[in-house]
Amino acid sequence: MTAKHPTEDRIKQICEIMGEDLDNPACREVMEHINSCPTCKVYYDTMKKTIFLCRENDCPEELPQDVNERLMKKLKLNRISLNKDNDQQIP
Amino acid sequence: MDEKQIIEKAKAGDEAAMAQLVNKYSERIYNLALRILRKKEDAEDVLQETFLTVVEKLHTFDGRSSFFTWVYRIATNASLMRLRKKKVVFQEMADSTDFQESVESRVFIDWSQDPSINIYDEEVKQKIDAAVNKLSDIYRSVFVLRDLEGLSIKETSAILNITQENVKIRLRRARQFLRDYLSEYFEERIVH
Repeated sequence: MTAKHPTEDRIKQICEIMGEDLDNPACREVMEHINSCPTCKVYYDTMKKTIFLCRENDCPEELPQDVNERLMKKLKLNRISLNKDNDQQIP
Repeated sequence: MDEKQIIEKAKAGDEAAMAQLVNKYSERIYNLALRILRKKEDAEDVLQETFLTVVEKLHTFDGRSSFFTWVYRIATNASLMRLRKKKVVFQEMADSTDFQESVESRVFIDWSQDPSINIYDEEVKQKIDAAVNKLSDIYRSVFVLRDLEGLSIKETSAILNITQENVKIRLRRARQFLRDYLSEYFEERIVH
């Protein structure tokens, strides 16, 4: 599917509703327009997919044990042993 | 014991309390730095730098912001300092008035439904990495905090010490840049 480019104002609105509560009146109004305008719909869908792909590509890592050991050593806290109960006490 | 009490104990020199705080936030800080700097060695340096600052400056933490915001602010600043030292050249999207907000008026293609565009494709992954790498420090930090870390506009604004309006503007520009950069490649890919 191809489309002409949306106006700059519409692009701003589309970018700004990403990740926001789509039930709020301002977002609802933009969404109503998007659903009735093929051009803006393409822009919205490709923007949504862009953010989705960036998130999918982002893989948070577990802190490597050696990194943690070096950190605790640097902070001179390496002799402190934490048990899981202690950790769980912090909300 | 809640976090406030643990902070007070750590302030009083209790090493076990300090270790608990470090333990609670170290993984998140490591990932935050990794997202901004995109290099493990740099992320580890920022992790250490952040918590050295926390240990040194904890007595100045007055609880006006949350401890999470305070630690995140230290880590984000350390990451951005490092990024700036590396003199990352970012020609496509400078923070100046000549930022290309207007995109050329042309016919474009909806690539969002193409099943071949997914992160299991190595080339797609590389393109996404390349796009994020092109974001300059001020845009990358907002994008990472809001879109990757999932923080609110308010939290992002508190961490970066900029107005919420400014967060929104930077976020919009970052998103727009990423979409346009990836679209150019994906449109080409679909056509050929």
